[in-house]
Amino acid sequence: MSFFDSINIAASGLTAERVRMDVTSENLANAQTTNAAGGQPYQRQEVVLQQVGGNAFSSTLAGAMGSSPTAGGVQVAGIVNDPTPDQLVYDPGHPGANAQGYVRMPNVNPVTEMTDLIDESDSYQADVTAMSTAKTMYTKTLDLLK
Amino acid sequence: MSLLDTTQLALEAAMRGSMMRQTLLTNNLANADTPGYQNEDVNFQSTLANALQSGQSPASVNFTPYTQAGTADASGNGVNTEQDSANLAENGLLYEDLTAVAAQREQILITAMGPAA
Repeated sequence: MSFFDSINIAASGLTAERVRMDVTSENLANAQTTNAAGGQPYQRQEVVLQQVGGNAFSSTLAGAMGSSPTAGGVQVAGIVNDPTPDQLVYDPGHPGANAQGYVRMPNVNPVTEMTDLIDESDSYQADVTAMSTAKTMYTKTLDLLK
Repeated sequence: MSLLDTTQLALEAAMRGSMMRQTLLTNNLANADTPGYQNEDVNFQSTLANALQSGQSPASVNFTPYTQAGTADASGNGVNTEQDSANLAENGLLYEDLTAVAAQREQILITAMGPAA
């Protein structure tokens, strides 16, 4: 267990939440994009997170040496497409409308994106608080030497 | 005979435990949206209390984290962000108390070792 574990872990959380926020913004920005890659409507994207530490070298070493494996934070495992079907909207004047007047719109629901955004912002804040608590603790440790 | 008495060693062991708890709680918050992740925590106070009662030196106490089986959400994540944040704040204050007492006791030693008048 290294001295600055907490700060590094909080930093990994900040990075993960920022990536989630980027993807949420991308979804919101493309909520009306009917002509994305290959002429298809935009597909909503989602971030998959995974825990770090299960296979990291330091934790394997710590395990082999008899001490408990260290916590390592979080990382982005990948950004995947949401398989929810596209929405069909009746808009005969739209250039992308089919013979019946329906347009295939992206499977983005602005309400879901906004609630995700609140969740991401809250998690980011929690990580910042954890980081500043760790900083105070390290400062107090240094004060022991005075 | 060691220069540091049992109380001082216990204070330092508690600081070690508190630092470990800080790391675990931070890891919980970082994994608040990781599918399948379960809350982790360490009860260093009870481990330390048991060691002191059985006469073990606090310097050789090792703390072991445990996984809290809690109610999981749809993705199997069991992190309780509010509880973790509250524990984190409590743990930070506890650490400040521990360092304040440890520093004060070390100051007494330094005074005793100080130059003769």
